[in-house]
Amino acid sequence: MAAATLPAGLVLQPGARTLRAFCTSVTPAARSAIPSPRECQSRRLRALREALPPRTEKMTVDQDWPSVYPVAAPFKPSAVPLPIRMGYPVKRGVPMAKEGNLELLKIPNFLHLTPVAIKKHCEALKDFCTEWPAALDSDEKCEKHFPIEIDTADYVSAGPSIRNPKARVVTLRVKLSSLNLDDHAKKKLIKLVGERYCKTTDVQQIGHCISELTFSFQKTEEWEKDKTEADMEEYIWENSSSEKNILQTLLQMKAAEKNLEINEEELLGTKEVEDYKKSVVSLKNKGDNENTLSQYKESVKKLLNLM
Amino acid sequence: TMLRRMTRLLSGARQLDPGRFLHRGSPAPQSLDAHLDDQRPRAVSCTSEDDPVKTFNEACLMVRKPALELLHYLKNTNFAHPAVRYVLYGEKGTGKTLSLCHVVHFCAKQDWLILHIPDAHLWVKNCRGLLQSSYNKQRFDQPVEASIWLKNFKTANERFLSQIKVQEKYVWNKRESTEKGSPLGAVVEQGLTRVRNATDAVGIVLKELKNQSCLGAFHLLVAVDGVNALWGRTSLKREDKSLIAPEELALVCSLRKMVRNDWHGGAIVLTLSQTGSLFKPRKAYLPQELLGKEGFDALDPFIPILVSNYNPKEFESCIQYYLENKWLQHEKAHTEEGKKELLFLSDANPGQLERLCAYL
Repeated sequence: MAAATLPAGLVLQPGARTLRAFCTSVTPAARSAIPSPRECQSRRLRALREALPPRTEKMTVDQDWPSVYPVAAPFKPSAVPLPIRMGYPVKRGVPMAKEGNLELLKIPNFLHLTPVAIKKHCEALKDFCTEWPAALDSDEKCEKHFPIEIDTADYVSAGPSIRNPKARVVTLRVKLSSLNLDDHAKKKLIKLVGERYCKTTDVQQIGHCISELTFSFQKTEEWEKDKTEADMEEYIWENSSSEKNILQTLLQMKAAEKNLEINEEELLGTKEVEDYKKSVVSLKNKGDNENTLSQYKESVKKLLNLM
Repeated sequence: TMLRRMTRLLSGARQLDPGRFLHRGSPAPQSLDAHLDDQRPRAVSCTSEDDPVKTFNEACLMVRKPALELLHYLKNTNFAHPAVRYVLYGEKGTGKTLSLCHVVHFCAKQDWLILHIPDAHLWVKNCRGLLQSSYNKQRFDQPVEASIWLKNFKTANERFLSQIKVQEKYVWNKRESTEKGSPLGAVVEQGLTRVRNATDAVGIVLKELKNQSCLGAFHLLVAVDGVNALWGRTSLKREDKSLIAPEELALVCSLRKMVRNDWHGGAIVLTLSQTGSLFKPRKAYLPQELLGKEGFDALDPFIPILVSNYNPKEFESCIQYYLENKWLQHEKAHTEEGKKELLFLSDANPGQLERLCAYL
């Protein structure tokens, strides 16, 4: 009965409907003219829900963002003016929008740490800092006076525990040239350090105490005497098989020409042999390429009189 | 197949008198190319359909700069000095093997004794029938490969086999021995008939030739293709599946001794080859990469000679040759565009060009 008499357009809350059911004495005409308190409330709430736009629409482009997010706060879709989407899309769909997106709420955000905000922090912290020493104005000077660099890393993450095992690693970097080692000690250090030596920047990373190491490398260890040709980092021409070969060849050539007065040192001292030596060393150390190979070819041709 | 063709060509070449070789002047002026014609008796070649030797009824080599350079050196060789080693290297398909064959042909015409190993890689992989050497217990014999090589050697150098006499007595087994002073041909025969002793026969032949070339009776050319096989790794295994090092193969040992320069009276021409080499990356073509440290030290000092792709003139004349012999049937092959397309596709690489033209 009561339901049939309701005028169209009025969407009532269940509470209102039950009230309705009880006041049957009121006529339909009167009912529509005087809205009940509940009805008023619902109408007002409706207007509130629909009318208020999100705060983002009122934001200008050059507003002061640190005041929007002064501290770490959860993601508020109505306060962040970016059209972010996050989530796994359904088939033939797009990721979910930011309104009511739980994923965006779950992840940590750094909206309170924009560069502008950090600049402000720095400005505030400046009062507590001392000045950078004026003498250390270039990288080389810094390295000269402070050759050892220590890297520590701290990790920040959201998780069940505040500890992070990677934070225990400390890297110590030292430039080899600043260690004052002689040739022998340097080679030994490079060999022991192995992969951790970076040739191009001459930087080496180790994790022990420096002074102990420098001292220990001056001594010659027992196992070093076993260094064979395969271990040599660079190719040294003296005493190599290449030298023996060329010497033999030249001696044979001289013998064929009945020129037996020349001895070995003289042979090794000639210009052609010098050139040959240089070309072989560069070939071995730098590897094959057009230049080294043609150099080698020319020197061999001169040596063997093949021009 | 290129190698096999060339060995047949060479063994055929040695049988003919030098007067039978014809040289045809090059059609294009001012180009480096001359075509060598070689009328081969058909009985020698038993070829398949795609062998250009049979197809063209002639064997043609393009004369190119690396080969000319090498020939220049060889002409000026001082036979009193130790043998000089020349190493031909280059990318795949640029013509190292054919340059080697050109040089061998030249030396054959000049009446040198040719010691040609077509492919040293064949000696270090896929060998069946490895025997323990009777001469040296540490080493292994390869009867099959040795006998094949002896056969080729015989056909190539028949003339010399009766002239050269061995200088020592060699005892093969209880009943057979070769006396001092008997011709080298007897050793070769022994190796061919008794296959078990073939490897030792090869070793003896090499040793004798090395010693005797110093005496000056003949000039010796040692030509090895794929010499990087001698210092690389092998793919041969013993019965207990352990790998054999190249030093343990008797053939490899004797060949290594041969390419040392402690003898005189000849020359050594070698090529490096990645095709067929074991455990080397495809792009490797530089001497040190393919020879390794050991090989380089053994061959040092040598003259490296680079063999590169065709230059424009060579490319042009190669195409002309194919067109003249009606090898290229495609209509567009005559046009400028077609030639440019072929140039682009093959990047002037001789091997690639041949493969492309095979379809056209």
